[in-house]
Amino acid sequence: MMSLPFFGLLAAFGCVFAGRRRAALAFWALSMLALLVLFRLHATDALTIVL
Amino acid sequence: MTASLSRTLNGLGLLALSLVLIAAFADQLLLGELPCPLCLLQRVGFVGCAFGLALNVKFGPRPSHYAVTILSACFGGAVSARQILGHIVPGTGTYGSAVLGLHYYTWALIVFAAIVLGCALMLLLDRQFEGAQAGQGAMTASARPRAATFGLAMLALAAFLALANGVSTVLECGGGLCPDNPVVYELLPGISKPKP
Repeated sequence: MMSLPFFGLLAAFGCVFAGRRRAALAFWALSMLALLVLFRLHATDALTIVL
Repeated sequence: MTASLSRTLNGLGLLALSLVLIAAFADQLLLGELPCPLCLLQRVGFVGCAFGLALNVKFGPRPSHYAVTILSACFGGAVSARQILGHIVPGTGTYGSAVLGLHYYTWALIVFAAIVLGCALMLLLDRQFEGAQAGQGAMTASARPRAATFGLAMLALAAFLALANGVSTVLECGGGLCPDNPVVYELLPGISKPKP
């Protein structure tokens, strides 16, 4: 699951090579969404700081 | 600044980002320091930044392409900042070894900030965008052979690094989430080198 953003971005690069800009942007957006979801899943421990 | 010069600078940016990813890989493979989950997500941020620059190289410079790079840097920077805050209190430990006194996640935040700054400076130069809306920005190998070859080579390098990171992550974490402090490759337990 952690590798999904990398493969999504690989697909985006493939679309760039193929000249398909909109598809590339769609893959990038999905990859960033996956990044944020995985960030949410992993950043679970409380921070020992006072803001 | 002309679109051609902008494209060359974006190609150089792609090279710089690729070197960052290669350095992280070198640390992983040569020193045996497996990347933590947040470290992997910061690498995703760098690849996302590289993707925005690749759009500029292939399709010509556009503000939206710089926005892709800035957004990716913000997402990656948020992960870096979270990891820094997790270790900011003395005595709460660190992850990985330090380089020039700073850990990788701290360097990552600095580089993400530099990327945002660099994109903002590039966005100040309006002349690079002239002609892009009319579809004149797309790169043709016959028009500028050397610039096209360099840009496409950097694009290929960045794509290869995305693939290499994807494969490495599968080997390290398998099909699920990564452990917080990985010590072995889940799919290669026999050849994993323990962290020093």
